[in-house]
Amino acid sequence: MMRIDKTMTGVALALALMLGGGVAMAAGTDAKAADPKAAEAAKVIEHAEMARKRAASVDGEWRDTAKFIKKARALAKEGKYDAAIKLAKKAKRQGELGYEQAVSQEKLRIPSYFQSYYSD
Amino acid sequence: MNKVIKSLVALALAGGVTMTAQASPEQDRAAFVKYYKDRFPEVPMEEYPNGVYAIDKVGRENWEAIEEFPPYEPFIDSGQEMWEKPFANGKTYKDCFPDGPAIAAKYPHWDKKKGMVVTLPLALNECRKANGEKPLKYKKGPINDLLAYIAYESRGQKIDVKIPEDDPRALEAYEKGKKFYFTRRGQLNFSCASCHLQNAGMRVRTEILSPSLGHVTHWPTYRSKWGTVGTLHRRFTGCNKNIRAKPFKAQGEQYRNLEYFLTYMSNGLKLNGPGSRK
Repeated sequence: MMRIDKTMTGVALALALMLGGGVAMAAGTDAKAADPKAAEAAKVIEHAEMARKRAASVDGEWRDTAKFIKKARALAKEGKYDAAIKLAKKAKRQGELGYEQAVSQEKLRIPSYFQSYYSD
Repeated sequence: MNKVIKSLVALALAGGVTMTAQASPEQDRAAFVKYYKDRFPEVPMEEYPNGVYAIDKVGRENWEAIEEFPPYEPFIDSGQEMWEKPFANGKTYKDCFPDGPAIAAKYPHWDKKKGMVVTLPLALNECRKANGEKPLKYKKGPINDLLAYIAYESRGQKIDVKIPEDDPRALEAYEKGKKFYFTRRGQLNFSCASCHLQNAGMRVRTEILSPSLGHVTHWPTYRSKWGTVGTLHRRFTGCNKNIRAKPFKAQGEQYRNLEYFLTYMSNGLKLNGPGSRK
């Protein structure tokens, strides 16, 4: 009888611990989701990705833009939202500049230092 | 009055830009040659296939010492074995390229049927695929051995790239390559021309920038930095990364067209691959 009691107490304790852990985990997830910075990070990363794709569509993507977005995603996953937002904003700006750079040169322009060599 | 003069100058400049942008390939090539002759008057035309060593005396001494025991030699031997070894179906590269192995001067060329610029690495892989073999990677690895052997056998051949007039798409591909060459890209906002035309002979840190004339004559090249031989498109990739632009796919349309333009610019120069560089 004594032995059964001990076993029951052990099971009850384990259940309590599991439930407690679950509750704590759920609370953690909720806290993460509820963090306004998390939503902001997700939004900025999404905008950065859109800017990158737009630059790529005109062959204007820069070397590190995709790397910055990947790192920003990883930082957001770790809950480091401020760092993620900062990096994603940098990536977004790169995407915008890459697009502008390519579009501004849509037409071929021979540089001035070379033009005179076409004469005679 | 001032306004009128300003407008006339602006019109003349705009006209000049348009005129040079629409120049014929032969006008482009003549301008290239004239530019480099003007920039490096002491360098004879036949020296340009030696790249930066045509204009860098100290670098040339080191290069000549390296060339006494060329680091690319084992790759030529290995390439010869690849060339002669039959595919699983019993055929060899010779069946695809009856004039081979000295075929480097035939590439790149415009393929009317395919509607695209065909380079030598692309043609080699097409041969492999047609014979049931897996294609080789375009930047590193065994394709360089094969290219080294073909380049060595093709030494002395003159570059003579044609832009056939019976297919306007050929000129379009050339123009795309030309536009790529003059387009600034990447975070550093450099074009190919920024380094290899405008600033050829100047230093970027410790390196002297090579002229574009002769850029295509010596591939594949053993680069000490790589510790092996690599393809021209691997080098294009490296250049684009250096200026912090996302590189394009090796043997993709952008780099094939750039190769078409650059090779046309070197028409008349002799092939001297494989090469060795720092």
